[in-house]
Amino acid sequence: MRTTTILMIVSMLSLVALILPSILFLAGSMELTTTKWVMLAATVVWFATAAPWMWKQTG
Amino acid sequence: MDTEQKSQQTESGGEFEREPVPQRSLLGFKSFIGMYAGEHTAGTELMIGPLFVAAGVSAFDVVVGLIVGNVLAVLSWVFMCAPIATRARLTLYYQLEKICGRQLVTLYNLANGVMFCFLAGAMVTVSATALGVWFKFPMPELSDKYPNSVGWVIAVLAVGTVISLVAAYGYKVVSKVANIAAPWMVLVFIAFGLIGLRQFIDATGTQVTGLADVWTLAKTHIWQGGDPHPGRVKFTFWHVMFFAWFCNMAMHIGMSDLSVLRFAKKSWYGIAAGTGMFLGHFLAWLAAAILYAFQMHQDPSNTSVLPGPLAYQAAGLAGLICVIIAGWTTANPTIYRAGLAFQAIIPKSSRFRVTMITGIIATIAAMFPWLAMKLLDFVALYGLVLMPMGAVVFMDFWLIPKLGLRGSYAELSGRQFNWAAGAAWIGTLAVCLGIVFIVGNWTLYFVALPGWFIASGIYLGLSRAYQRQFVASTASPQIRPGTAQA
Repeated sequence: MRTTTILMIVSMLSLVALILPSILFLAGSMELTTTKWVMLAATVVWFATAAPWMWKQTG
Repeated sequence: MDTEQKSQQTESGGEFEREPVPQRSLLGFKSFIGMYAGEHTAGTELMIGPLFVAAGVSAFDVVVGLIVGNVLAVLSWVFMCAPIATRARLTLYYQLEKICGRQLVTLYNLANGVMFCFLAGAMVTVSATALGVWFKFPMPELSDKYPNSVGWVIAVLAVGTVISLVAAYGYKVVSKVANIAAPWMVLVFIAFGLIGLRQFIDATGTQVTGLADVWTLAKTHIWQGGDPHPGRVKFTFWHVMFFAWFCNMAMHIGMSDLSVLRFAKKSWYGIAAGTGMFLGHFLAWLAAAILYAFQMHQDPSNTSVLPGPLAYQAAGLAGLICVIIAGWTTANPTIYRAGLAFQAIIPKSSRFRVTMITGIIATIAAMFPWLAMKLLDFVALYGLVLMPMGAVVFMDFWLIPKLGLRGSYAELSGRQFNWAAGAAWIGTLAVCLGIVFIVGNWTLYFVALPGWFIASGIYLGLSRAYQRQFVASTASPQIRPGTAQA
């Protein structure tokens, strides 16, 4: 239960990390190369942490 | 259990296929929000947005046209599809069988299956463009009709084969992956737009101090209006509005989503389709359009609509993964559904074999870029072909009883082919496609509206004559408007 909660929190944070770089890039506060790498890292974290609890949720 | 699974169960011959959904199995509003958001943020959105730009649309026409069209689409779900779904609580196929008879439903399944095949083909095309970024083979241009390189054919073959095998073997796994990917994919689509916007600001040297400046940038650089690319229909506000309204016509006015919304507790749950419309058919289309417009801003001669390179340029590997997953997760259920439609025609055939053959047809179709590059036309045609049966269901449910006629006539009379419904379908298509061929391609985006009234009129008129043959003794209780919970 506790692991699931942690995974849920981390996966939600990864979604924030996914969209935030593009907002920062739009604001001119981040380079495109960095934006791409952060988005890729957030993608990996999302699938790694969301899959376990979402897989269960979808039966 | 979510709505996606419910609808899969229905399609795969699961529960409540031939009976109303019982009260205990109804689902809450939240289930429909997630399903619609995921289903309408698909790989093909990455084609449609750029194709609007190629059609020479202006900023006002695309933004306002999409808002109005998407609102009309949601209203169609709420007021046309959902009220019948939550009263009858039957699948479209069973309801059609009761109205039209088994043989006519078989024809409908054939049309449905063929359309699904080509739609899946376009999705395979989208995924295959991602491989081109890695393997650097020549990819199709906007005007290409035929495969233009061996690399392209091999890429489509590889993607199509994998998708077909997975659809045949492990469809449920892909469905779960699609659910997991949905929130991530929506955000990547939004990121495409934000990144593209900044690239435009930098490339044009625009000073942005507020939304007014963004709007000026949109008008002067992204959606400039003017002439469309050669061979394309020029898109105005009306084209965009009708396209946004009718691109899912098969589902709302065409009543395909009866199978999904029959699980809804209330008919207003149809409003959940708004998540799909405004995330997928607004934000995603606009975001993809920005990427394409930026590509042309950098190199006006590069008019290719290739989601893979567009996404890679904006978001790197995350963008490329998005293109593959968006195409893959939406092509899979489409191939699976097409297979089910064909299997309904030949019930004894194995599900694996039918799905594989369907996948092969979709893969062959995907090799011809003409299909994806003409996606706007194809999507309009797809809605048009399936719409008349939606009109038949609508009239049969609401108006036929009020005219003193009997609904579900095929079931009551024991007929296998209700000629009133058959003539409404074929007659409407003949008239609408006749208009398209005679007047011009541009009418394809509009004819479905008068077509709905033509289908309704033919069905009502012919039913009056046809039902004279009705034998009263075969009458049995029917589900009628207002008899069940809304």
